[in-house]
Amino acid sequence: MIESCHEELLELIWTIEEEHGETEKELLIKKEGSSSAETYLQTLVDNGYILLKNNNVILTKKGQAEARLIIRRHRLAERLLHDVLEVKEESMDSSACEFEHFLSEEVTTSICTLLGHPSTCPHGKSIPPGDCCVKTNKEIQPVVFPLTELQTGKNAKISYIVTKFHGRLDRLSSMGLLPGVKIHLHQKYPTYVIQMGQTQIAIDSTVARDIYVRHG
Amino acid sequence: MHIDTTNTSKIALVGNPNVGKSVIFGLLTGKYVTVSNYPGTTVEVSRGIYKGLDGGSEVIDTPGANSLIPLSEDEAVARDILLESYNKRIVQVVDAKNLRRGLLITTQIAEMGLPVLLVLNMWDELLDRGMNVDINALQGSLKIPIVKTIATHKVGFRELFHSIPHASVPELRINYGKFIEEGISHVCRILNNATVVNDRALAIMLLSHDESLEKKLQQKLPPDSFQEIARIREDVQKHFSNPLSYVISIKRSQFVDNLIEKVTTSAGNEREARPFTRGVFFFFLVPLFAFFIGYKLVSLLLFTISMKLSIPDLLSMILQLSAGGMMSLCFTLYLYETEFKTRKKISETLGRITMHPIAAFPLLIIILWAVYKWVGEFGSGVCVDFLESKIFGSAETPSDGFNICIYIPFIKKIYTFTHINFAGINYYIGLLAQKIISKDNLIYELFLNEQSGLIQVGLTYAIAIVFPIVGFFFLAFGIMEDSGYLPRLAVMVDKIFKQIGLNGKAVLPMVLGLGCDTMATMTTRILNTKKERIIATLLLALAIPCSAQLGVIASVLGSISGIYFAAYALIICSQLLFVGYLSSKILPGAPSDFLMEIPPFRMPKISNIFIKTFYRVNWFMKEAVPLFVLGTLVLFVATKLGVLSFVERMGKPVIEHFLGLPVEATRGFILGFLRRDYGAVSIFKVLEEQGKGHGIDPKQLLVSLVVITLFIPCIANFFVMIKERGAKNAFLMFAFILPYSILIGGLLKIVLRVF
Repeated sequence: MIESCHEELLELIWTIEEEHGETEKELLIKKEGSSSAETYLQTLVDNGYILLKNNNVILTKKGQAEARLIIRRHRLAERLLHDVLEVKEESMDSSACEFEHFLSEEVTTSICTLLGHPSTCPHGKSIPPGDCCVKTNKEIQPVVFPLTELQTGKNAKISYIVTKFHGRLDRLSSMGLLPGVKIHLHQKYPTYVIQMGQTQIAIDSTVARDIYVRHG
Repeated sequence: MHIDTTNTSKIALVGNPNVGKSVIFGLLTGKYVTVSNYPGTTVEVSRGIYKGLDGGSEVIDTPGANSLIPLSEDEAVARDILLESYNKRIVQVVDAKNLRRGLLITTQIAEMGLPVLLVLNMWDELLDRGMNVDINALQGSLKIPIVKTIATHKVGFRELFHSIPHASVPELRINYGKFIEEGISHVCRILNNATVVNDRALAIMLLSHDESLEKKLQQKLPPDSFQEIARIREDVQKHFSNPLSYVISIKRSQFVDNLIEKVTTSAGNEREARPFTRGVFFFFLVPLFAFFIGYKLVSLLLFTISMKLSIPDLLSMILQLSAGGMMSLCFTLYLYETEFKTRKKISETLGRITMHPIAAFPLLIIILWAVYKWVGEFGSGVCVDFLESKIFGSAETPSDGFNICIYIPFIKKIYTFTHINFAGINYYIGLLAQKIISKDNLIYELFLNEQSGLIQVGLTYAIAIVFPIVGFFFLAFGIMEDSGYLPRLAVMVDKIFKQIGLNGKAVLPMVLGLGCDTMATMTTRILNTKKERIIATLLLALAIPCSAQLGVIASVLGSISGIYFAAYALIICSQLLFVGYLSSKILPGAPSDFLMEIPPFRMPKISNIFIKTFYRVNWFMKEAVPLFVLGTLVLFVATKLGVLSFVERMGKPVIEHFLGLPVEATRGFILGFLRRDYGAVSIFKVLEEQGKGHGIDPKQLLVSLVVITLFIPCIANFFVMIKERGAKNAFLMFAFILPYSILIGGLLKIVLRVF
């Protein structure tokens, strides 16, 4: 098992590679700034995380996977501190450095979900997506959306109706506008007009906002 | 009409809005009820007798309902009829092409355990859309008689009559899932057959939290049972995140969807209009009509500004022609691109274009213009003139008769058949009267006085002026209603109506108000909330001139100049919006959702429009003629007793100084309470007399007409306001409108002085 100092090094290798395309050993040691950098590097080589080739440091497959998770934790932590806890930039960096070492996989996923699967950190660098992000992209996010975002002239299927108003729900369901029903959006202006079977129904934009649909 | 309810069965017509219940009612009973292509027109329950069954049975036409768990007043009416305790058969009318929505109700009737006959109406429209319903399969699943009809063409009625006695309870049972079913059985135990209606149906309604039903059951159940029911409902609700009524609706809808899958087939290809018809429509009629729209829009614009600017004829010709060309090009290209290529039906294209975000607005202006030409110029100009001066005439002087002639268009000649030497009904009555009594006799004056005789003014006025105007308006309104244009208008004005606390649905009472505010106030019932009904009633009373009044105003102002008519329209519209906006802010309550079914665009049936107009005018005349005569009588008495001059003196400071009108105009305002249009005419006459020789002062005229329009509603309308909204609300509105209209008039006078 590697320690947090080794993780820092792996993280550094990833960021340098991200910026320059390759990692020179000298630059890495200079940036690390610690006297024992050389020993840490050797430990990583021994554990099969990196290869040393022509004065360049190259991540192995194992190293890449590990670095990716560290980066992901670090940048998600930054987002959390920045967006939710509103921590100032200086302390954000140092705290994030600590977060990356102790966040478990499960907690990382929760944070990622909480933040809505962000794709970049506050500095604008990309956050490597985890399994949870991939899933969301496929299943939920762009698939179900309010009727107001459907393009005119397109067909859709009602997924669900979310509204605070009980009466509105009853009115829609008594018209037969229920989940699973196929609709066609005729126009949005001046009022929404949808076609359901052979019935044309005019609805307000406020009601249309509560109807969630998917393409189909 | 009295029938013994104990030993006859009743027939209740039930169905979604706008499926043709009223037409079928008419065919069953031979009685006419207003038939319309606008959802929710039947607000009152009509009853008639069907003689086909032994002893005859009463037929009840219910307002359209989408669900038997009511969400509005009219749906509650429909539901209550089904719950009443007597022997009855249900004739459920379904729009065949919208079978799914109809069957949602059938399942509810089945739960109630009532015998049903299913009528699949508008069968032709189903076939037109390339669909088919396997009636035998549906009959097999539901075990009830089903007939197909085309009610407006009287197709399929023999089977309908034959099948009524065979109506039976549908064999279906929806499984609502473990938790709800348990809840139902618990509630059933409490109900314990306390009512005539099936317990299961009541239990489902109660679980859906139908408050109006709880009120109805109050006498039949012990008081603590409602707490028990509420507790059961809460227990069941714990298992679901959505409201129970919604969960139940979804289950019901799934059941119906399964059923429908088995019985409907889609032939795939819709029946297309013949290529020739389509060609003519898209490449001849559309360009031609669009050219006309563009041409007319510019000419209307030029007419409005012609007071201030003089535009050379040639320039205006060029402007009009180019606008026509542009419009023609735009419409044709757009329709060719979007509609012609996709092989849409012509009626669908028309339906879509009349609520298109851009194209619908020029269309609307042209339609308004056409209605004005029809009602304002032809109806209240030509026809009124003929009836008033030729047919009725005056008791004093004979009219010079009229010619029966024909106008031959191309050679521009009038061919006269004969001259009718008819001196006017009133003249003959006058002659006859003078044989018995002298002209100075009080009784002669009472009936034939030039200013306030009951026949000379009251009756003549009602029949010669109001009758044609109202008749022509209702004809135009009927066409808009039956073609399906009105609901599309609702779509277009929804955004604006939202600002004044109403929604698009209110377009029906508002447009009907242009015909008769009294009738329109009654239809405010179709609106969803109390707040909306109050606002609509207030705006109708304040700012919507009725057709009789508008006819007079349009002909008076139009004869002076276009710009004054435009100014008048602008002021009235701004008041409508301003007062509406204010009252939407002041009155408590949230705005209601606009959720309306848009019926298909149809070719209106001329016979139906005439019948409908006949019934509406008939109703109107019954209401109006007595009031006219009464009003004239009041005026006559007031003149003789000197009350009028007293009121004139009282009103003098306001009328003369604040509004800048002659004192005699007071009489017009008093008359305005009896008949709004009547007031407008009499003010016009006063101004005409005052300006003898040098013409009427248009500014004075504008002020007086604005005030008389905004002024308190006529007495008939006021009575209906009391009936519909309660005496307190009606008097509050009255107390607001009276000073407000005078205030606006005064402000207008000051503003006009600047110009």
